[in-house]
This record gives sequence, structure tokens and C-alpha cells, in this order.
Amino acid sequence: MTLLELKNVSVSYGRIEAIHDMSFSVEEGEIVSLIGANGAGKSTTMKTISGLLNPSRGSLTFDGQEITKMKAHIRVVKGISQAPEGRGIFPGMTVMENLDMGAFGRKDRSGMSADFERVFTLFPRLAERKTQIGGTMSGGEQQMLAIGRALMSAPRLLLLDEPSMGLAPQFIKQIFTIITEINQQGTTILLVEQNANQALARAHRAFVLETGTITHSGTGKELLANPAIKEAYLGVG
Amino acid sequence: MSMSEGPKVLPGAETEKETIDVEARPKRSSGLFQPLVDKWNALPRPIQWLWLIIVVVIAYLLPILDIPILTTQPGNDWALACFSMASYALIAVGLNVVVGYAGLLDLGYVAFFAVGSYTAALLTSPDSPFAHIPYLWTIPVAMAVTMFFGVVLGVPTLRLRGDYLAIVTLGFGEIVRILATIIPALKGQVGFQNVGRPPGTAADGTPLFANSNGTPWYWLTLTIIIIVLLLVGNLERSRVGRAWIAIREDEDAAEIMGVPTFRYKVWAFAIGASVGGLSGALFAGQVGFVNNQKFDVQTSILFLAAVVLGGAGNKVGALLGGVIVAYIPLRFTAIANYKYLIFGIALVLIMIFRSKGLLPARQRLLAYGRTAYQRVISKPGTVTPPTPPEAEKGAAS
Repeated sequence: MTLLELKNVSVSYGRIEAIHDMSFSVEEGEIVSLIGANGAGKSTTMKTISGLLNPSRGSLTFDGQEITKMKAHIRVVKGISQAPEGRGIFPGMTVMENLDMGAFGRKDRSGMSADFERVFTLFPRLAERKTQIGGTMSGGEQQMLAIGRALMSAPRLLLLDEPSMGLAPQFIKQIFTIITEINQQGTTILLVEQNANQALARAHRAFVLETGTITHSGTGKELLANPAIKEAYLGVG
Repeated sequence: MSMSEGPKVLPGAETEKETIDVEARPKRSSGLFQPLVDKWNALPRPIQWLWLIIVVVIAYLLPILDIPILTTQPGNDWALACFSMASYALIAVGLNVVVGYAGLLDLGYVAFFAVGSYTAALLTSPDSPFAHIPYLWTIPVAMAVTMFFGVVLGVPTLRLRGDYLAIVTLGFGEIVRILATIIPALKGQVGFQNVGRPPGTAADGTPLFANSNGTPWYWLTLTIIIIVLLLVGNLERSRVGRAWIAIREDEDAAEIMGVPTFRYKVWAFAIGASVGGLSGALFAGQVGFVNNQKFDVQTSILFLAAVVLGGAGNKVGALLGGVIVAYIPLRFTAIANYKYLIFGIALVLIMIFRSKGLLPARQRLLAYGRTAYQRVISKPGTVTPPTPPEAEKGAAS
């Protein structure tokens, strides 16, 4: 079943068009990766899906419902949750307070407690640091917190914007393992990455983004094997 | 085997665990008042209440006590000075909702103060052509009118952020002042005489709330401050307060967490505005005269200075800031003319040495309240990190 669909979406910053006529879809239960270089429009795509940016043309559909004009905070309740690029945690709040903010739109106390447990099981480190101020944690811990916080809204679609950015290689592997685990627990994931190797290896399907247009698409394995992509994104010629 | 191993292992591990436990605790702020704040938080609830009652009683007795070192006599009447400090404190508490909680820089707050003053004047002064109502009724009316103005200003402008919002609010402050000058019904510099006062007569037949008698006005204002503090404190700990703090910290992140940021910003603006209007109405009543002279940009900046000086985001800090900003020029009349210079220097120093104000903002675990918070941090087994944090840092950052 198609969970998210973008049809002919264009997004502009003033007169500069960052995304041209983009169409793709995400099926329920998948991990879909968007890879591309700096300025390819990856983060713009994410912000358009989460609702922080409005497309100038085209339409977005989530779970069969048109969401093109829907405000970001309502999309969260519908089941779209984003862990923003550069972590974007609330630096002055503790770990618990950050996670609590993730559940802002929810009313079901029991479901929230279960999700707290889930996040602490996925990220034991966060459980150790419940009362630490977010801004004083290391980059990797902040990334965990950003993902954990996004999970607190019990999303159906989790948007991860460069979860590996600025992390040590060993830690990147750990983050991707957790992403796969979250997916296996039933959350659909749309992943934006510069770290193409991991992103393609973990994804069911993937798209390559170049200057605001999708240039390649296929399963993660297909794209990993594609010579042009190998050369451009994986650093092997 | 070296001397450092063996017998030292166990106590070493013990101290290590302890340091981690200490580190895991929130370190929100430090400095001058921190030991005091920590001590305060450690006190049991009834003792805290007891202390609060003592402080409140002293606050009520302040104009009567007239402590020799503190007094502003002979230059300024002490009771009136107390009223002035209370007014500034109330204003600072109101502005703190906008600037401190929601993080919206408002440089035109005096406009709401002006709207409140004029509302009270128009509804009670014999110079006004409007229907007259008892003075005490003007207080809720002034709050409602300024709240309306807050929404009117907020809805178009709160889509702006940061500097742009500051510029628009600065403009709004000027617009209100200029309107007070050019609209004939508002009487410009001539203004309104004999603004109403609360009922009551003293033993000698003069009105209890006389313009020259600061004490009853001070008591009225202090009572209102306590009510406002209780209401604001409740808001702060509620969902609304959490949303404001999230907006202040990162507006985009708040939005994608499901916070309707625009609506909550308008709320902050409206609530802040209504407290400004409230203090305006009190001020108009005490002075008994309103014209267009007191509502300039400098006054707005002075209000903002009070909040920043005291500690944006902390209602007690803002209160303290308001008191200080009002008190210093009244106490040290010799330097009163240089007050902007002095506050300017004070602000620069504060920004360098205590960038979060005298009493920095602190938040508890807002959603679950105090008891739940205590339970979380004392829950056995939750704060037992197997590795020292330093070792992980290399791999994690």
C-alpha cells in the first residue's frame, strides 16, 4: 500500500527552484533512501514532506489523503515525524523533556509510556541520561535523541534527515542498525543521506537526487551495483 | 602489580559512579545564586511555603517599614517609590511571558502599557466624552482591550521571526504614541485629568487611594502581582508553557513536534499584552493623569532591560529586574539623569558575566510535574552507566 506519494512537486526559495517536478512514492513498511550531493535538494524534499516548506506546484498524498496544504503540526498527528538535519533537539531541555515534546500532540498516556520504554530500549544511552541537558551531550547522543524524539509521536512515516552527519564511522554503523530495527518494528522510513554506501545497503528502494531532479531509481542493491552511481557517490571508479 | 591497583579498585569504582551520578543531574545554570537556588529546591514543600509567606508579609510591610538604608527619602516618597517598583515588576513579569518564555523580542511593549492607561483614562476621567464606569472595572476592561490589541498586532506580525518581529514591534510602539498625539479625542499633551480611583475613604475623609498616598496603591499592585505570578506559574508548567519554551529553543523543531507554533505565539503576545494593559491601568489610576508623554521607545527598552537584567524566562528574575530598574534612579537621585547610561553599562556587564540574567531560567520536567520528576531522577537502576562518559565521547562525537 502506498503511504506517501509526491506528484510533480516543485519547491522554490524565492526565485530559485530547489526541486523540479519531482514524483516518487513510499510504500508502507519500506526503507526508502534519497541520496545526493550537497545542494541536490534532499533536505528541501524532507521539509516539504514534513510541512515546513510549501511546494509551489504539485501535490502530496499521505495514506490516501491530500496533505499539500496541511500545516506541519497537523501532519505530525497524522503520522509523519521528522528528525531534522543537524539534530535539531531542544538544547536547553533535558533528555526526558525533549522526548516529552515529541509526544506533544498525543493524548494517550499508556501509549506514551510504552513509547518511552521503546525509545529507551532502542537507545539505552538515553535511558542513562534522562536528566542530562540535551545541548551538553555529544553529537552521537544528540542524534539518538533526535531520532528518539521523532519516534515519540508514534509515527507511521519517519523522516530521517542525514542521521549519520558528523558521526564517527563506528557510530554510523550503529545508527543504521537501529534504523533497520525501527523499520522491522513496523515504521516506514524515508532516509536522506550523503553516506550512500550505508543508505543504499539498508534501503529497500532508493532514489538519486541531482540538482532538484531524480536521476536514478531502483532497489538499494541495483543502485549499489550501478557503475555511474559507484563512481559519483561511492568513491569507486 | 603497582600500588595503585588492588585495594584501591573498589573505592575508585565507587567514586567514579558517584561523579557520573552528579554529572547526570541537570546543570542548567551556575554562579552567584546557584547554591541558594539548589538549597531552595532541596527544601520540602511546606518549608518553601513558609518562607514564601514570610517574604510576602515583608513585601506587604515594605512601605510602612521604611528601612533606613533602602529608603528613597528625602528625594522621593518611599511609598510611591514602592508603588513604582511594583509597577515595573508587574510589567517585567508580563513582558517576560513574551520575551522570556516564547522568545519573541518585543521592543514596543510600552504600547500595551499606553493602551491600558488610555483605556482607564477614557472610561473614568471627567475630561473623557465616553460613558464612565467605576475604576476597578477598568482593570478587566483594560486587560481585554490590550489583549485584543495584542492579537491584532500578533496575527499579521508573528509570521515574522527574530529581528523582523523586533522591528515591527518597535514600529507599533511608535504608532500608538503618535496616534495618542494626533487623534483629537485622545487629547495629546493636554491629556486626561482626574482619572478614577478605587472606592474607600480614610478616617479623615480624604480618599483612601489618593494620588499622593502610595501605600494602598502599592498593596493593590502587590496583590495583583501575586495573582499574576500564580497564573503565569501555572501556565508555565502547563502544556502552553512547554510549547512556548520549545518555540523559544527551536521554532522549526517545535512545529514538527506537533506544536501549533503560530497559535501559541499569538497566545504569548496576547497574555503579555494584557498584563501590560493591567499595569497601564494601575499606573493611570495612581498618577491620576494620562497624556502622551510617557510612552516613548526608551521606556520600552527600559522594560526590556528589566527582563533581561533579571533573567529572561524566569518570572522571579523578571520581577527582581523590574524592581531594580525602578529602584535605582529613585534611590540614587544624583545619578537618575544617567540611568540609561548606567543600565546600558549594567546590561553589557550582565551579558559578559551572567548572560542569562541575575536569576537564569530553569525548567523542571514540565509535563509530569515535580513529584514525577523526583521519581525519575531517584529511580534505582536508571542512572548506572556502565562506562565513564569520556570513553564514549571519542566514538560518539
